[in-house]
Amino acid sequence: MAKVLEGPGMGLMKKWGITVPNYVVVTSVDELTKLGQANEWLKKSKLVVKAHEALGSRFKLGLVKVDLDFKAAEAAAKEMIGRQVGSITVSQVIVSEMIPHKEEYYCAVKSTREGTDILVANCGGIEVESNWDRVKRLALEVGQQPSAEALEKVAKDAGFTGPLVKKMADFAGKMFACFDSEDAQYLEVNPVVLREQDSELIALDAVTLLDGDAKFRHPDWNFAFAAEFGRAYSKHEMEVMAVDSKIKGSVKFIEIPGGDTAMLPAGGGASVYYSDAVVARGGKLANYAEYSGDPPDWAVEVLTDKVCSLPGIKNIIVGGAIANFTDVVKTFGGIINGFRKAKSEGKLKGVKIWVRRGGPREKEGLDAMRALKDEGFDINVFDRNTPLTDIVDKALQAK
Amino acid sequence: MSILANKDTYVVIQGGVAGVNAARRMAEFCYLIKRSLNVLAFVYPPDAGKAHEIPYGSGLVTVPIYKTVAEATKNHPQINTSLVYIGADRALKGGMEALDDSHIKVVSMITEGVPEKDAKILGRHATKLKKVFNGPSSIGIVSAGSCRLGVIGGAFDNLVLSKLYREGSFGVITKSGGLSNEIIWICSQFADGITTAIGIGGDAYPGTDYVSYLEMFENDPQTKAVIIVGEMGGDLEERAAEWYGAKKRRVKLMAVVSGFCQESLPKGMKFGHAGAKEGLKGEGSARAKSDALKNAGAIVPATFGALGPAIKEAYQEMLKSGQVKEPVEPASLPKLPKSIEAAMKADEVMVAPLIRTTISDDRGDEPCYDGYPASELINKGYEIPHVVGLLWDKRLISKQEAEIIKRIMMLSADHGPCVSGALGTIIAACAGIGLSQSVAAGLIMIGPRFGGAVTDAGRFFKHAVDNKMTVDEFLVYMKKNHGPVPGIGHRVKSLRNPDKRVKELVGYVKSLNMKTPCLDFALEVEKITSVKKDNLILNVDGTMAAVLVDIGFPVDSLNGFFILSRTIGLIGHWVDQKRQDSRLIRLFDYLVNYAAPKRREVPPLK
Repeated sequence: MAKVLEGPGMGLMKKWGITVPNYVVVTSVDELTKLGQANEWLKKSKLVVKAHEALGSRFKLGLVKVDLDFKAAEAAAKEMIGRQVGSITVSQVIVSEMIPHKEEYYCAVKSTREGTDILVANCGGIEVESNWDRVKRLALEVGQQPSAEALEKVAKDAGFTGPLVKKMADFAGKMFACFDSEDAQYLEVNPVVLREQDSELIALDAVTLLDGDAKFRHPDWNFAFAAEFGRAYSKHEMEVMAVDSKIKGSVKFIEIPGGDTAMLPAGGGASVYYSDAVVARGGKLANYAEYSGDPPDWAVEVLTDKVCSLPGIKNIIVGGAIANFTDVVKTFGGIINGFRKAKSEGKLKGVKIWVRRGGPREKEGLDAMRALKDEGFDINVFDRNTPLTDIVDKALQAK
Repeated sequence: MSILANKDTYVVIQGGVAGVNAARRMAEFCYLIKRSLNVLAFVYPPDAGKAHEIPYGSGLVTVPIYKTVAEATKNHPQINTSLVYIGADRALKGGMEALDDSHIKVVSMITEGVPEKDAKILGRHATKLKKVFNGPSSIGIVSAGSCRLGVIGGAFDNLVLSKLYREGSFGVITKSGGLSNEIIWICSQFADGITTAIGIGGDAYPGTDYVSYLEMFENDPQTKAVIIVGEMGGDLEERAAEWYGAKKRRVKLMAVVSGFCQESLPKGMKFGHAGAKEGLKGEGSARAKSDALKNAGAIVPATFGALGPAIKEAYQEMLKSGQVKEPVEPASLPKLPKSIEAAMKADEVMVAPLIRTTISDDRGDEPCYDGYPASELINKGYEIPHVVGLLWDKRLISKQEAEIIKRIMMLSADHGPCVSGALGTIIAACAGIGLSQSVAAGLIMIGPRFGGAVTDAGRFFKHAVDNKMTVDEFLVYMKKNHGPVPGIGHRVKSLRNPDKRVKELVGYVKSLNMKTPCLDFALEVEKITSVKKDNLILNVDGTMAAVLVDIGFPVDSLNGFFILSRTIGLIGHWVDQKRQDSRLIRLFDYLVNYAAPKRREVPPLK
């Protein structure tokens, strides 16, 4: 899954005929001022200014300001751009038109095992969470298109009446078209509002999750994907992602501030079990990492470098199951180079390294790791006869 | 018994390199269990009509490549399974093609990064056709003792260690490729091993769920228990729990679920597999799944590490109740023949080498010339003539000798467009021929009449010096045995029009106060011959030859100096013509003396 920020998300909805408020995304107040000269609506309408970053609880952080005139919007943008929130600097704001409205509704489209669910409710905003039973569902099989009748029925079921039935059905139909054509996995508009002046339904806010794997058939996806966990990606994370996009196989890296047990395991499945074991034994993860699919040694070296650079780590877990085709000697070669580099830079002082692995050329690979002991590394190497996550137990018991 | 794959499973592999690698792994398994190769065909349009040779034991099996699945199954009607290794952007089309073929009952997709929608379309199409679509992102399927589809099971040693050569009692279903081997290994260490292990792939919506395979295992009397390796995200585990709890099942269900760490990590974190994401509102968490499985009566160890002992306990119970018997291990197993490289490394064979080399070795991180690493030569100030010395004469020449060679090369790098070699290259360049061929066209002109007299000149001057001949004796000897003296005589240069290159080279060498017996002799010869005719002077070939013999180069290498230096000029002429986009050359009529018979009538055929 790949999250898309509000701006490009609204752009995709607009492309499929959904009415969205006027909006601009800017990286400086100057840019906003210039846009104000060119766009009448910025001067005429009441405005909303939001930090355009993958940040959770923007309201609480004061990164959303509403009911502003253009001057106040400029002031809000000035205050927000460049603000430091944790490790993240706000670099963009989205300025959009405020839509006067009384009624708020809800519409979402999500991927299911069988196909797609279209969700509609005649309440919106924070009301939806507490009134989940009012959300009505139209389930579609993969490949099936929703009929006008079915859409109107779900709108009626959700409590819409009169001309709103058709309006909501239309809106949901366009949401589906956007979802289906753009390889989305989740689209949510909350709230959908009824604009007072012309009684048109407008998407006031958008949550857009696209299928990153389908990027090859969407040359117009010219925006970057955003992190889904309530903060933007760090520099190190983005560097590993850049490597990942270039190679056969994969390398992944997510930092978790404050932890002391660093992860450098192999395999998408096993890595989670290693992380589970750390948490189950009361350890604190410093990161989530993983390499798999026989990546080149230089990519594993980059990953190792990032893992060794994590602050305050006491243990590094180089775990792995018995590989099917990942070459243990080659990938361990990358890790060993990374360790040597880190050590020469004065890192890894007092850090214990724990290794468990099997697979093609396992003996040679494990022997090479074992030999690091002679170079002064505090390293403990185990083979397939040690159960998968036992090195985590040993690491966390060791004083 | 087994499910999905057995001794009657025959395969077409759709895809290129990765598919060939899988076929090799499959051949290793076939060899271990003594069945013929189960891969009968490849489908890969760019190579259609060709074939891949797959090592099987110490032999090779030739497997043809077709353009379409239909062609493959038409030629090999036993094919009933397709493995898809095509890239994610074409996987949907390839998968559909396989599903739509009436011979094929199982399609297993190995491709990773297939769009979710495409996977769902394939899954639905398979259900409609009552076929199995496994994957995407599947590591493969292996049935112990009967069939391997894909690389699941790992390297040959691991197949043996995990006892995959004979059937056990445990079925395995996993989302994770790496963990499939781990579970197979655990089953073989703590119990009697597996029946079938299936990688269903880690995507959000795999084509086939746990339940479909649980049903199949339930109907396979050999499978006594099934182990599910689950993870957070989706609801496949909950559905499996529901299935298991719905009525009394013959098979025992054991499961582990990963993702408990998510409870203490940032919300929305994405793990290794596309499917490993917690749903909205906390659904699909590891805890919810574990609880559902436990409540349905499955054995769910607290950690992955506790799975081994749990399997052992289940197996001991089966033994006690007589459900299973201790397996009988075969007396011997085929050993995978070692590659010649591995056998040599283990000092097990001696191989008579095909060729012998004494000058260079490229097996390390960089080439060594006569033992000296190229980079070290560069960094210590050595130059091209030294490399020539090392590779042609296996010795590190002195600075002075290097300077002489450098001058020889510079003086003979080019001599204008009119000489045979340059002309040959230019004509070829004008005809649109490529660089290496055009240069070769120039180089093949090098012979007794053009630049190729160096070796012979050196040989005869050396012969004379070694045998202490006088110039007269030498000229008589040459006339009697060989004809004109190589290295003497020039087409355009003469005493009146001397060759500056020769003067320059002779002057420089003479200034060095080194012993130059050959050069001295050659100059003596010139004195006599040039008196007879004023263009019978010592030419460039002869001068080079004499000097190079004097500094000790073997005579057989001498023409090489002309070839080497003139190559510089020939490349220049080719680039020059190319840059000008030169027209095709046709010789003008007036430059030809047509000495052929005049036009005449063709006589009737007799």
